[in-house]
Amino acid sequence: MSLRTRALQVTTYLGLAILAIATLFPLLWVTSIALMRAPETAAGTPPLWPHHPTLYNVVDIIRRQHLGRYFFNSMVVAAATTALSVLVAGSAGYALARVDFRGRRLVSWLVMLGVLIPNQALVLPLFEMFRAVHLINHYAALVLPAAANPVGIVLVQAYMRGIPAEILDAARIDGASEWRIFRSIVVPLMAPMLAAVGVLIFVVSWNDFMWPMIAMQQEGMQTLPVALAAIDREHYQDIGLMAAGATVTILPMVLVFLASQRYYLRSVIAGSLTD
Amino acid sequence: MAALEIENVGKILRDGQAVLRDVTCAARDGELLAVVGPSGCGKSTLLRMVAGLESVTSGVIRIGGQTVNELAPQQRDVAMVFQNHALYPHMTVYENLAFGLLVRGTPRANIDLRVRRTAAQLGLEAMLRRYPRELSGGQRQRTALGRAMLRQPAVFLLDEPLSSLDVPLRAELRRELSTLHRSLGTTMVYVTHDQSEALSLGERIVVLAGGRVQQIDTPVQVYHRPANRFVAGFVGWPPMNFLAAESFDDPTRVPAGEGALEYGVRPECFCARPGGADDLPLTGRIERIESQGSEWHLELTHRLGQVLARLRPEEALRVGEQVRLWVKREDLHAFDRASGLRVEL
Ligand SMILES: Nc1ncnc2c1ncn2[C@@H]1O[C@H](COP(=O)(O)OP(=O)(O)O)[C@@H](O)[C@H]1O
Ligand SMILES: [Mg+2]
Repeated sequence: MSLRTRALQVTTYLGLAILAIATLFPLLWVTSIALMRAPETAAGTPPLWPHHPTLYNVVDIIRRQHLGRYFFNSMVVAAATTALSVLVAGSAGYALARVDFRGRRLVSWLVMLGVLIPNQALVLPLFEMFRAVHLINHYAALVLPAAANPVGIVLVQAYMRGIPAEILDAARIDGASEWRIFRSIVVPLMAPMLAAVGVLIFVVSWNDFMWPMIAMQQEGMQTLPVALAAIDREHYQDIGLMAAGATVTILPMVLVFLASQRYYLRSVIAGSLTD
Repeated sequence: MAALEIENVGKILRDGQAVLRDVTCAARDGELLAVVGPSGCGKSTLLRMVAGLESVTSGVIRIGGQTVNELAPQQRDVAMVFQNHALYPHMTVYENLAFGLLVRGTPRANIDLRVRRTAAQLGLEAMLRRYPRELSGGQRQRTALGRAMLRQPAVFLLDEPLSSLDVPLRAELRRELSTLHRSLGTTMVYVTHDQSEALSLGERIVVLAGGRVQQIDTPVQVYHRPANRFVAGFVGWPPMNFLAAESFDDPTRVPAGEGALEYGVRPECFCARPGGADDLPLTGRIERIESQGSEWHLELTHRLGQVLARLRPEEALRVGEQVRLWVKREDLHAFDRASGLRVEL
């Protein structure tokens, strides 16, 4: 290895290390603060490390603020949204990329347009619609609008276009029905992209704030971020308690990332499809 | 096994572009029919129409006497090998081979037997557990071939199956294909843009250009009696020389026909000495000599242009010198200047 490539490698890893630290530091600090108690958290900037680590704050916020209930709500909504929208993005993305039907271009354009519309602009019409069908304060109010995620559809469509059409033709000639082709060829080939879309949608759903705040006003139906914001308004001086709430909120996303990471790596190593 | 008949088939794309016009050709039961033509002439489109992957705008396609125009690819008993192999990337070689039998509900034990037999035939036994990305180019194409063979289809379609391979491998697989065709006895349509491949593999050749059939005949006939100027120039390498009567030393001795003619002489039909009294001389200056070992390629400038001649090496031939070459009358092809059609002299 030459000196130049060596130097390039060192610089690259140094840059990546700085980025990793910048990303991880706030997360770790918040987790660390969640494990602290009054004297440490009361006086100005909390220290980096708890001197007497304790789960008091975590237990306290879960017990007294019924965080478990809100955690459950968020989990149901995020899981249902992810499952449904991966199903929709997978089938719609495939159809828009590879199934020849009338009006395909128009639908593609409409989906693209959907990517450009900010969610905030949809809040008012959505509220009217869901009130009309009496679904406000139901999980469905959060799951259904997110089921057709245009970003997910566009991502799957683009990915599917990269898969040679001849592979599907070969399966047709092999005698496979269209449904069999979707199940045995298309879905396995799309799997890495479906996993990525799933993680993306889970995170977006988990973090969503504005629409859940408006659609879920009944006590006990709020999602975690909305409930946490309410707790924050009451206990904003208790840094330890808030940090515990934040940690509990972030945890599932970290787990989702860790669980799917191996899968990403495999799909990257697997290399391109065509050669 | 079955014959394939293509009758007056046309293909017009949605944008109105006519890709194929009035194509009629047939492969007899068990025959290997080569379809050759320049890139973009509609070969793949024709093959895909036979497979059912493209709709038929006009005309009739019959397999084993049955009209298949409206049948889906799943219902036509054909198999196809694609240019870029199109193997299922997420399946092993074994699964790739087995897929077609699996979806047709063949019993597992039977599948296993047939997969292993085909793999053995193609030298793939050691590769059965590998994924396509772990195979060499030749092994991938063999797998694609195996996948098509395994189902014992009525018609076997091959779309430039060797063009992505390097030259030695291509020659090797070409020989294997030929052997395979003889042992399987299946009707095959082999599409290629490479005229030498068509000449060496095809029992008969269909020359396609601009979406139209130019000639259908045996390799010998296509080579020695090309139906028109296009076929004459396309088939054979190095290509045929096209000359005017005035290119020859004595234009009056060049046989004439009705209307204005253009003459064609294959590079190997020039001789350094006259063979008979009727031979036509042509004099030119040697511009270049390229030795191919057993023969030399001579580039000559004659009165009206250039010709390429393939001759036995002769020390006497030198660049820059005049040389007189001889062409036998029967080696002279003639084409009508207006229509391009062959004219018998
Ligand atoms: N799906 C398609 N869309 C647009 N043009 C096409 C399509 N398929 C084929 N063509 C056109 O049809 C012609 C023949 O194509 P093809 O059959 O692939 O030729 P070949 O296989 O002989 O190279 C080309 O001019 C190509 O541009
Ligand atoms: Mg082609």
